[in-house]
Amino acid sequence: MVEARSLSTRGSRILLYVVLIAFAAFYLTPLIVVILNSFRSFQEITQTSVLGFPREFRFDNWVQAWGSYCIAGICSGISPYMWNSLLIAVPATLISTLLGAMNGYLLSLWRFKGAGLIFGIITFGVFLPAQMKLVPWAITLRDLGLSNTLSGLVLIHVVQGMSFTTLFCRNYYVNVPKDLIKAAKVDGAGFLQIFWRIILPLSPPILIVTVIWQFTGIWNEFLYGITFSEGSARPVTAALMALSANIAQAREYGIESASVLIAALPTLLVYLFGGKYFVRGLTAGAVK
Amino acid sequence: MKASLFRTTGLALLAACLVHAPAQAEPRLTVISQWSAGAEGAAMDAFGKMVTEKGVKWEHSPVSGFTTDMMNKLRADIIAGKPPAASQLKGPEIKAWSAIGATVNLNDVVKATDYEKNISADLAKIHKPKGDWIALPLQIYRVNTLFASKKAMDKVGATELPKTWDEFNALAAKMAAAGITPVAHGGIGWADAMYFELTLAGISADAYRKSIMELDDKALRGPEVLAAFKQLRQLTKWMSPSNAGQHWSVFLPALMKGDYGFLMMGGWASGVLKKGNFEEGKDFLCGPTPNNTGKPVFDMNADGMIFWDTKNADLLAGQKATAQVAMSKEFARTFTQINGSIPVRTDIDLSDAGFQDCQRDAAKNLSGAIAANQAIMSLGHNMAQTSPVTAALRDVLTEYVHNDKIMPEEAQKRLADAVDTVR
Repeated sequence: MVEARSLSTRGSRILLYVVLIAFAAFYLTPLIVVILNSFRSFQEITQTSVLGFPREFRFDNWVQAWGSYCIAGICSGISPYMWNSLLIAVPATLISTLLGAMNGYLLSLWRFKGAGLIFGIITFGVFLPAQMKLVPWAITLRDLGLSNTLSGLVLIHVVQGMSFTTLFCRNYYVNVPKDLIKAAKVDGAGFLQIFWRIILPLSPPILIVTVIWQFTGIWNEFLYGITFSEGSARPVTAALMALSANIAQAREYGIESASVLIAALPTLLVYLFGGKYFVRGLTAGAVK
Repeated sequence: MKASLFRTTGLALLAACLVHAPAQAEPRLTVISQWSAGAEGAAMDAFGKMVTEKGVKWEHSPVSGFTTDMMNKLRADIIAGKPPAASQLKGPEIKAWSAIGATVNLNDVVKATDYEKNISADLAKIHKPKGDWIALPLQIYRVNTLFASKKAMDKVGATELPKTWDEFNALAAKMAAAGITPVAHGGIGWADAMYFELTLAGISADAYRKSIMELDDKALRGPEVLAAFKQLRQLTKWMSPSNAGQHWSVFLPALMKGDYGFLMMGGWASGVLKKGNFEEGKDFLCGPTPNNTGKPVFDMNADGMIFWDTKNADLLAGQKATAQVAMSKEFARTFTQINGSIPVRTDIDLSDAGFQDCQRDAAKNLSGAIAANQAIMSLGHNMAQTSPVTAALRDVLTEYVHNDKIMPEEAQKRLADAVDTVR
């Protein structure tokens, strides 16, 4: 009897694994195709099929994608554009996260008249489609003299990112006991002192969430990147687009695949190192 | 005192010269295009080299990807008050965009050459929308190009490309019976629209011009358009039902293997085949798509360059020099040899080895079609209409290609109605 039960448990367990593996395989297939193609030559792909195992593993797609493939007459691969993306994504992520934390702290723990309205206006930005904001941004950047500069893109991502970071942080800080703030005030701590000494040390879970969210969002952003940048000062998404998406030419699937994999690495690393905090931070305080 | 005054005047004159100097700075051209990599990028680089040799500083900043991305960039730059000196733009969009930003009048530069005499009148009209030259076409692709798999042809004992739709239908039926999928098609929106335009152009180029280019209601509801929908339905029955949303180049290996019989695609496909080491004659045949009109038909996709107005003397000089290069015979040869298109000028000798047979055939086809007044503008490639109209037509055509429950009569009515709503 006992044996029969464990057998059926084992049976359902095996079934569970079969289903899970099938789903995993289904979702991983495109990635595997991309990885395999990154090792195949143009001729091989054109003569056989986009789907297939490499006849021989060739690494020159990777070498070319990184450092020598010509994009817009500049034969330096995607590496300089990776650097541009870092120069945009790192400061924009840090500044927007810090401002979001400040906003959240102010809006949740220093309630003042109209706080709810201001919060509403800031989070409204979450719902605005990017295309709608192209022309206003073009005018703003022109007036600030930041057209076609990396600083202009940083500004855009900081301002737009604040909608999300404020939303995340405010909802997190709402659960911080008000008594903590009162006690600190009694001890003579001011607005900034409480923020640095008490709030920030409590914040790593939500800060990791916002950093991951902002970094991946800014890294993968394309529309602003291509509209408000020029020449060699382009983010990597614009450079990737330059490699593909043309009607009238042979697609370099090998080089495209290698480039995509390289360009995905930074966000992958951020997820690998911060991923376990992501869900934890989002759900913190959700079940109380 | 006098000497000192003389010296002061001299210094002032010298200073004036120095201040004046930047106005005579070296000619310069800032240009944005979609051409960044591969053969197109290489052709653009060659263009830049030719312009540089004329003493112009070439600053190319491509915005590759979809046309809308380049338009966004262009709009942002125009708003910022810094439009590029030149940008890629084609078809009726030239007219639409010239209302947004001020353009340069190129009349004198063009009239000083024999350029206008040697290009198609329809094409010239697009590049001088209000009578003044503000843009120049750079290259032409023949959209109505038929590629046949040599292996598939051999299997059914055919040696020549079908000339009319009846011949095509007979050959495709034979292929289907032999287990070959007669028509390769990926089911992308612009390609769906393109298959329709090729059938209509091959049934009546006049009807195409009236219905699609001039949006004439009577022509849209006329018998030729209906016949085109019927022929298109026949084609969709010969397509593989499992191909959706795939880039056309994905089918090339299967086409070369003989799994597919025909591919209708712009001349650019021959460049891709060449790069994949396939040979015309041995692996594939290339020629015009079926044509019942008895006279040559040429369905045109021509990329152009528009010149934006600027106050900078160096950019104005750069624009003039660039326009001169773009109109030259040397440019026509170099640019098209690299990217596989054909020259805009009809007086270019294509006999040297830098050209493929497929290009020579297309160029001959173009001259013939111009003479017969049957050179038309492609709908699928945004040459016939502005993008809002194209999008409305494309919606109807795509749905028709993917849903075989829609009858040709119903589709024709939908197409004419769609035109009514956007007109």
